[in-house]
Amino acid sequence: MQITGMKYGHKILALAEFPTPQILCNDAYSEEIDALIKKRGRLVVKPVFYGGVGKKGKAGLIKIVDNVPDALEARRQLFFAKHKFHGNTVTANGATYEEFIPSDYEIYFNISVSTESRMVSFTLSIDGGIDIEELPPDRIITHSFDPLTGLKTYHIIDALAQLNAPAPIISPLARYLPALWELYNDYGFDVMEINPIRMSKVGKRYVPYACDFKAMLDQDNPHNKRLNLPDDVFKTNLSEFELEVNALRTYQGQSDVAVINPKGTITPFMFGGGANSAATEILSEKTTISTDFGGNPPFEKMYKIAEIVYKYWLKNSNVILVIGGKANNTDIFVTLKAIVDALRDYTMKHGKPDVYVVIGRGGPNLIKGMAYAHDMLNNLKIPHRFFGYDSSMVDVIHYAVEIDDWMKNNRKK
Amino acid sequence: MKSITNTPFKYFVGIQSLEEIASKTDRVVVMNILGNESRKVTPVSHVFSGGNVVAGVQYGRPGVMKTPIGDIPVYSRLAEVVENHEFDTGVIYLPPAAVYYAVAEMCHYNKSLKKIVLVTEKLSTKDQRLIRAIAQINKIDVFGANSLGVADAWNHVRIGGGLGGDRPEELLLKGTVALHSNSGNFSTTITEYLKTQGFGTSTVVSSGKDKIIQFAVAEFLYAAENDPRTKAIVLYIEPGGYYEKQALDWIKEGKIKFSKPIVALVTGRWKSKLTRAVGHAGALAGSNDDAVAKEKWFDKYFRSNAFDPKNPTKVNKKGVRVTSIQHIPLAMKAVYEKNGWSPDFEPMGDLGLKPWFANDMDFKLPEKLKIPVVEALSPYNKEIALINKELGAAYLRQPMRNASGASAMNTKTQLGELHGQPVTVLSKNTYEENIFYSLAKELPTKKELPIFNIILNFLAGVSPKEMKLVKEAEKNGATPNEAIMAPIALLGNHPSYQLSHDYIQAFIRIYSDLSLRKINHTINWKKHASIIDKHFPKNTKNDKKSFDFLQKQFDARKGKSNIKNLTQYILVNKSIKNIDNLLISSLLFELFFSKLVLKKMTRDTLKNLYAYLSILTKVVVLGTVSPSKNNFIKKINNKQKYPEILKTSFTETAFWALFNEQPSPEKLLEFSTLLGITLTNGPGTISAMGAKESVSARNNISTAFVGYLANTGLAHGGNGFEGIQFIINSFAKSGLKDPSKKDKKIDVQQIANQAAKKYIAYKKQMKAEGAAYGRIPGINHPIFKGKKINIDPREDFIYKSFSKKGITNLFWDFYKEFVKALYKNKGSKNIYCVNIDGVIAAISFKLLWGLYASKKVNKHEMQKIGFNLFLFGRTVGIAAEIDDHRNRGLDMDTRTPAPEIIFVV
Repeated sequence: MQITGMKYGHKILALAEFPTPQILCNDAYSEEIDALIKKRGRLVVKPVFYGGVGKKGKAGLIKIVDNVPDALEARRQLFFAKHKFHGNTVTANGATYEEFIPSDYEIYFNISVSTESRMVSFTLSIDGGIDIEELPPDRIITHSFDPLTGLKTYHIIDALAQLNAPAPIISPLARYLPALWELYNDYGFDVMEINPIRMSKVGKRYVPYACDFKAMLDQDNPHNKRLNLPDDVFKTNLSEFELEVNALRTYQGQSDVAVINPKGTITPFMFGGGANSAATEILSEKTTISTDFGGNPPFEKMYKIAEIVYKYWLKNSNVILVIGGKANNTDIFVTLKAIVDALRDYTMKHGKPDVYVVIGRGGPNLIKGMAYAHDMLNNLKIPHRFFGYDSSMVDVIHYAVEIDDWMKNNRKK
Repeated sequence: MKSITNTPFKYFVGIQSLEEIASKTDRVVVMNILGNESRKVTPVSHVFSGGNVVAGVQYGRPGVMKTPIGDIPVYSRLAEVVENHEFDTGVIYLPPAAVYYAVAEMCHYNKSLKKIVLVTEKLSTKDQRLIRAIAQINKIDVFGANSLGVADAWNHVRIGGGLGGDRPEELLLKGTVALHSNSGNFSTTITEYLKTQGFGTSTVVSSGKDKIIQFAVAEFLYAAENDPRTKAIVLYIEPGGYYEKQALDWIKEGKIKFSKPIVALVTGRWKSKLTRAVGHAGALAGSNDDAVAKEKWFDKYFRSNAFDPKNPTKVNKKGVRVTSIQHIPLAMKAVYEKNGWSPDFEPMGDLGLKPWFANDMDFKLPEKLKIPVVEALSPYNKEIALINKELGAAYLRQPMRNASGASAMNTKTQLGELHGQPVTVLSKNTYEENIFYSLAKELPTKKELPIFNIILNFLAGVSPKEMKLVKEAEKNGATPNEAIMAPIALLGNHPSYQLSHDYIQAFIRIYSDLSLRKINHTINWKKHASIIDKHFPKNTKNDKKSFDFLQKQFDARKGKSNIKNLTQYILVNKSIKNIDNLLISSLLFELFFSKLVLKKMTRDTLKNLYAYLSILTKVVVLGTVSPSKNNFIKKINNKQKYPEILKTSFTETAFWALFNEQPSPEKLLEFSTLLGITLTNGPGTISAMGAKESVSARNNISTAFVGYLANTGLAHGGNGFEGIQFIINSFAKSGLKDPSKKDKKIDVQQIANQAAKKYIAYKKQMKAEGAAYGRIPGINHPIFKGKKINIDPREDFIYKSFSKKGITNLFWDFYKEFVKALYKNKGSKNIYCVNIDGVIAAISFKLLWGLYASKKVNKHEMQKIGFNLFLFGRTVGIAAEIDDHRNRGLDMDTRTPAPEIIFVV
């Protein structure tokens, strides 16, 4: 659950009364755009991306204009702009017109949990506006602080002092930055990054303006609902399949899924983080999805998940793979029964799928579960081979790959 | 925050040696002890650890948790626990939102608390950091969250989650390897794998993989160094977090002393392709703590590349990184050899592919992939042998209040379905075929039908006393369902039902013991006399006489049959209480055994088949319209004298019961179609609910049928006559002679037009008077409406299939014309559909026509025929519903929860 940019960023920051530029969305009237240009003489046009997308400036995707026709042209160019980020190509979903904030100083500020101190920490630099990784270590300060008492003015003042910050910006930053902790702590954030904060003079004093916003929300923290963000902000990251499965998310049993290759020919039910990592890595592009259904899901949940999995992926699959180690709590009978019952019901509706079922599993009620699945698949006349936990999990995955290869060469879909 | 000086860490770490993580002296309190997960796990841990759980907390629900070594007291508040017990270890199983508060509660009430294990998943990061903060202040070591607990094979202790599942003693073999795993499942799987090269474990820690790992690698390695039992470490690592780097840096910098070898596995390279976290809290693309980065940290530490299983000696004394879980045992062996050590014990098993179950069907796999099934390792081999002996389907028990595994109402087609087949498809079957299907979930073969019909007719017979009860009820003004209900209510668990139950149970047990799965061969049963003696009911009464006809039918069947063979052996060698019952039970076993083998039927269903079929068929005979005039039914009730009548198709028997005449093939087809359509309308109908509610109160099967019958009535099942009445009125002056033939003199279109005009006028007048007006039965539908021409696909399906067979029904044609006429005369906004009630009315009246035209039936009898037509069909669907609820449901599961109850003023 990630948010990038000021379209929503300025609304979120308003909750902490943190100053931001005035923002217009792409449906703004020419008169409004013109007024915003006149306010500062210039205007910033940026593409809107969903999810965690950065390095827009470096990619030339931030345009500064000084008249309405240029602003509209920039909007046109950026509206569906494509951007390569960390090896993925993402497409913009609109554009924003943002008030240009003249500034003398640019600040970088971030709050996140440090896995080194195992506390919450902030990172501050007075050389903002560029990638933080590009700065030498002595230009960045990271401080952990007690989550019970929170971020205080003195933390900021001490950090700025260590950075030899110019005197005029110390007081405004010490006044405004601790408010971001309240926002972070009360609204379920995991990471919050503002870069740059542009220090702009209002009268004789500097005021910090947050000019870009990146955040990751903690999906296990219900407090982020307080932000009242539209669901679409997050949905665009997810495929229809992922959305359907995510709707079943409860604390009881995992239901983490990601689409790997919609044209894949092996559809796996992976149980446990370990099996998830191992199987996704080995199956690679052959797998339709990567999943983790561990944590002892109840029958109803597992059945519904299996139903959704088959709906999306069974038609083109050669192999259904059920893979996991020796479960500790997960009831194998319940999970295998749900998986094969859903397969039975799929078969009744759509006819027998041309698939081979490979299972590698261990855990409570293992034999009861395998015997049930064996009987059911025999009845459905679906070929299968089940391995106990004394067979290498990795070899079982490779076996599934070999069956898939054989089916590709010997049984045309 | 306070800092600690007794360890090299800047933060508090209480554990000095791995021996202390799960020790014999730990006294444990479990929060949410009676919750779903703890209820299963805690007793196993408690027993394995020799009774280390002193108490549990279940907010507001005090009690005890029973374990094989004694009860664990359960309190409703932690404050009560501390008044009565001393403990130093907490385990928390609460839902995520409650975990932080429970940690605070533990810290608040127990100053001697040392450790907490958090099993709960999906804790918010905010709660994780707050837990960390208060645990640090209170000097408590925390494991998790999202941990499967901690365990120690030397101390024989398991705390928290279910490491090793329900068999921890199998998993935790004493050894010299300590394991720290981000994955709960892999903490078990790696421990299992290590055994294949002869390695046991000292301590196993499932660390969880939340953002904050509370007991991380650095603390673990520090404690491992101080543990004299531990020689080497296995680390299982997933992307995200700098815990490993920190530990390795501190070792390098000398901040923590560590000299033991490590075998490390980092997984999750694929996650770098994602732009968001999946699975365990992981690193995002391009971050410096992804899998690739972590691999580099270890390779730098080991000063070597990843382990190569083809060149296993190439490891150094400090250890090695492996790329696959299956390489861990081999890599550990290589590291031990490098250090001049021996494994802990002889290798146990191997990791080669060993299928336990397989069936390639028609796939012609190459030899390489056709790996033969092997005997599973102990004790699973014994379980497989036992399960192979076990016959019949097994269902999960669950609340079945608004659920059914038998019937459904398909919301798209608006068709009731039984065992996945729509009633339109089932209406093509004969009545007896559908009876068979309702309980077996598949149709009988043509070869099986003659003997099945004999069984049905045999069981259908009722006594004069039972017939008298019906008559008496009718005299008292009982509706047909009420009248039939009276004798059914007296059946209870009839001795014949119990006897057949016991016979079939004996057969099942004998077949299970001998692992028999097929019927079609003969067996020398003498050889198995002891098994037969063990299972066959011991009867004191010896009934030597059987019903000749039945015995002859039994003996005359062709082909080999070991159940026939067995029955004959029993007849010769055993005292039999009721030979006829034994023969019927044996025949039922023969007909339905394959369904048991294929797990389509439960053992309970097969054992109670005699009861189901007896009640089903009795409903038909008790529903006879005028029994005193019906010679056919009299013969059924006097089978000893008229045995040949038992060979009749049961569809015909049912037809005779209602119409007291020999049906033509056309009438029989229409009749069975009608019965098929009414089989079910899903589990939500009140008739189905009546049966289900009775089952959930744990009544006998017969009483469940009474529950169903009690929930039919003039508004449900008995309203079919309204349609017939509408047709009668419409055709009153038509001069119709035969509705099954087109007749030039009968202008159906004109009759429909007149009927429509008449109805429109009536409706107009009632509206003008401001009075409520009656609606035409059998037309329009809440789903199939709104188009210019509306069609109920069920009606259309049956009409077309009848038309193909050349079957004419002028009443049906009238209905179809009526909806058009209604529209033409502006009585409706569009052309309504003829619905399934219209179909039932048209077919019923056509079947009744002969009796009606010859004035052989009065209005009351016609109403009874209409009602019983519904009952005959629906009873079959209900049998499936009762059986399904008995197999899957729970006691009292149909009860309405108190919050759903509305008090109406």
